[in-house]
Amino acid sequence: MQNLLTVAGMHRLLYVYNGFVIFVLMAFMCLTQERINDAMTARAFLESAGAIPPSSNVIFWTVTAAFFGFVLSGHFYRKSQNRHAKYLLFATEVVICMLLMRVLNLSYDGVVLLVVADLMYKYDGRRQEYILLIAMICLYFISNYNMAIFQTKIITFEAYASYYDADAKAVILALKNTCYSLNIVCFVFYLVLLIKSTHEEKERIRLLNERLEEANQRLRAYAIEVAQMAETRERNRLAREIHDTLGHALTGIAAGLDACIMTLEVAPELTKQQLNKIRDAARKGIVDVRRSVKKLRPDDLERLPFQEALLEMTKDYSASSGMEITFDIFSWSDNLRQDQEDVIYRVLQESITNAKRHGQATKVKITIGGNENYLLIVIADNGRGCDDVKQGFGLKHMRERLELLHGTVHYWSDGGFIVEAMIPLNREAQHDKNSDSR
Amino acid sequence: MKKFLAAICAAAIVFVAMYYSTRQPVTLTIGIFAGNNWDVPQGEPYAIIDEVITNFEAENPGVRVEYVSGIKREDYSEWLAEKFVSGDEPDIFFVLANDFNLYASIGGLMNLDGFIAADKNFSADVYYPAAFRFGQYENVSYALPCESTLTFMFVNKTLLAKEGVALPSNDWTWRDFLEICRKVTRDTDGDGVPDQFGCYDYTWRQAAISNGVKFFRDDGKTSYFADSRMEEAVKFVMELRGLNGGFEISPKDFDVGRVAFRPFTFAEYRTYKPYPWRIKKYSSFEWDCIKMPAGSSGGNISVMDTLLIGMSARTRNKDLAWALLKKFCYDEATQQMILQKSQALPVRRDVIISAEAAEIFSWEDSDTAAITPADISDAMDEAIMPFKFKNYRAAMMYADAELTKIIDGVVPFNNALNKLQKEINARLQY
Repeated sequence: MQNLLTVAGMHRLLYVYNGFVIFVLMAFMCLTQERINDAMTARAFLESAGAIPPSSNVIFWTVTAAFFGFVLSGHFYRKSQNRHAKYLLFATEVVICMLLMRVLNLSYDGVVLLVVADLMYKYDGRRQEYILLIAMICLYFISNYNMAIFQTKIITFEAYASYYDADAKAVILALKNTCYSLNIVCFVFYLVLLIKSTHEEKERIRLLNERLEEANQRLRAYAIEVAQMAETRERNRLAREIHDTLGHALTGIAAGLDACIMTLEVAPELTKQQLNKIRDAARKGIVDVRRSVKKLRPDDLERLPFQEALLEMTKDYSASSGMEITFDIFSWSDNLRQDQEDVIYRVLQESITNAKRHGQATKVKITIGGNENYLLIVIADNGRGCDDVKQGFGLKHMRERLELLHGTVHYWSDGGFIVEAMIPLNREAQHDKNSDSR
Repeated sequence: MKKFLAAICAAAIVFVAMYYSTRQPVTLTIGIFAGNNWDVPQGEPYAIIDEVITNFEAENPGVRVEYVSGIKREDYSEWLAEKFVSGDEPDIFFVLANDFNLYASIGGLMNLDGFIAADKNFSADVYYPAAFRFGQYENVSYALPCESTLTFMFVNKTLLAKEGVALPSNDWTWRDFLEICRKVTRDTDGDGVPDQFGCYDYTWRQAAISNGVKFFRDDGKTSYFADSRMEEAVKFVMELRGLNGGFEISPKDFDVGRVAFRPFTFAEYRTYKPYPWRIKKYSSFEWDCIKMPAGSSGGNISVMDTLLIGMSARTRNKDLAWALLKKFCYDEATQQMILQKSQALPVRRDVIISAEAAEIFSWEDSDTAAITPADISDAMDEAIMPFKFKNYRAAMMYADAELTKIIDGVVPFNNALNKLQKEINARLQY
């Protein structure tokens, strides 16, 4: 920031300095013209000048207005964001620059450097090096070949200086050259500052990038660590659950059964009672196992009825991602098994996530239908799709999960990406459930 | 951004409004000098100008024409240059021959070709070619002729009658000229010194022009002093001078009537012929003027000097300025007025040969007048225009000094002209 301030300050200094030189030059021309008239040497001046000079008034107002216009267009050029406005303003600046040089009889071409300075200030690297090169060549030609178009009408600075005696003339010419050289020095210094500030900016960005990368790496390591910790915790919990439920039940059952083996011969009636108790313990064990498994289910599924859980999940996702998700439910099977619900939930979750992550889709349409034998789920998005689908981790899991239920999954690209999952609702499954619950 | 554009539009509207508001009462200015271009006395310096302005203002209501009075001719060039430098030069102005090329080349004078082509009422054919072309620079018209004058030969009729010599006709030649001069040059009071002469002030330049010599190329970069016709002219002037036997004639000799011929401009003729200047100057003898004698390879040619009026290239009222310019240089009434009131000649051919001209030129009985409007018109048609290039005056001054030495016999004649031409060509290169 400190450096940028210096660049801006130098830029302002360039403007102020050029304004000063132009003003002095204009005053010199006007005063010399007045003095020439007072000294009655106008005829000789015209002869050596080779052109009719504009009157002092015209010179003064034109130079003042032109420089004011130059400063304004330069200012708006540097501030403007719109590309077309920028080009227009730059063209205006060049035209005013030529006008200024014309009025000053091409005796000062420092304004050209101001134009270049403005151009450099706005230089953002996008094909602009060509524009910059062309502009600089043009300006160079304009200033060095003294605008061939105006050649016949130009009064040289020497013609003005010749009004004064030889010593004064030498001093005036020397002053003029000094002014010009000083302008070049300022300009070069400005360029150096500009390059320096650009360089520092780059360095700053590089350092920031490095730190960002470092932080990223730490974050990744931390994420792995957290995942491992979660896994260990989960494993411990599972182990505890198994130990507390299955272990407890099985140990009881094993001990009970041992007792039964002993008493089977002696007291069959007692053994029968005992076996009944053991069955009850096993049932209780199953209930405990079910409860443990339930604890591993997604929160929404646990909390809400299945359909509402699905809506809640998609609503949450669309709220957080901005994606529009619509549901079309034609038919619905009310007696889905828990494992089927789990799979459907995961398939939808995975597909929506893919639509956002890989397809950058903004709309997803979920259609659910089928009959008493199967359930069909189609998830279509308006994202990029892809011609050659590589089965990633998500899709593979989806397939595996569905295969466990004897279901199938198909996916293809057609405008967006479409996933079609089919889950059979056969009697076998029904039977399983029945026997399971029995 | 929109505000910025709006501000620009507003500024433009204000400027246009200001421009039109300043235009409302139109004032044209004319740059003129007091007196005339021809070094002769004049009674009322602004009489013609004032009348033309009055007429123009009557024809163009709402237009005012102004001029600065009291500028002497010798100060005029500097005055005009100062006006140009300070940017308030007149809309139309007299252009001195010396200034014409300068202003035409630096863009001070308006190119008139466009106006001439566009104006159906204007035809350059009414002018004498030497007058019209005098206002051209590199074949482009930058000024129009207003009035002209050319050199004629004054003849002392009383002296010729006394010597029994007939008045020469308008197509006379060097041979006639030399013959008459030889006849009248003599000692009348018997003191052994000649006191009656043939010619005073007949210069090598006049001789060369009437012998068809063109001194310079039009661009003024090369001279033709080694031309054989130039040699003839110089030899003729030497022969003429030889008649005087080395005696130097003074202007007083002509004034008192002891010289038969003296070249004079038409302005001088107009000035001194009628009352009252006639009484002041040549009252002791009868005189008249005829065309210059023709050289052996030339004709009865003389140089016609023309006063030009040009228009400023920066004038805001181009069409009005053109109208005013035409009022001075093209309007028949104005040209008639120049014929009546000015010492110079109008530049329109039809005005010169008009009935009024015949009346004005016949101060004496028309049967004894040596020159008629038709003769004047012929002379103007044949006349050549002076050179106007930058180094012309300096080159001619140098040539005059060198040729005077040759004619006076200080420098031997053989090969002197070749040397002179080389010298002048070298000087013309700057």
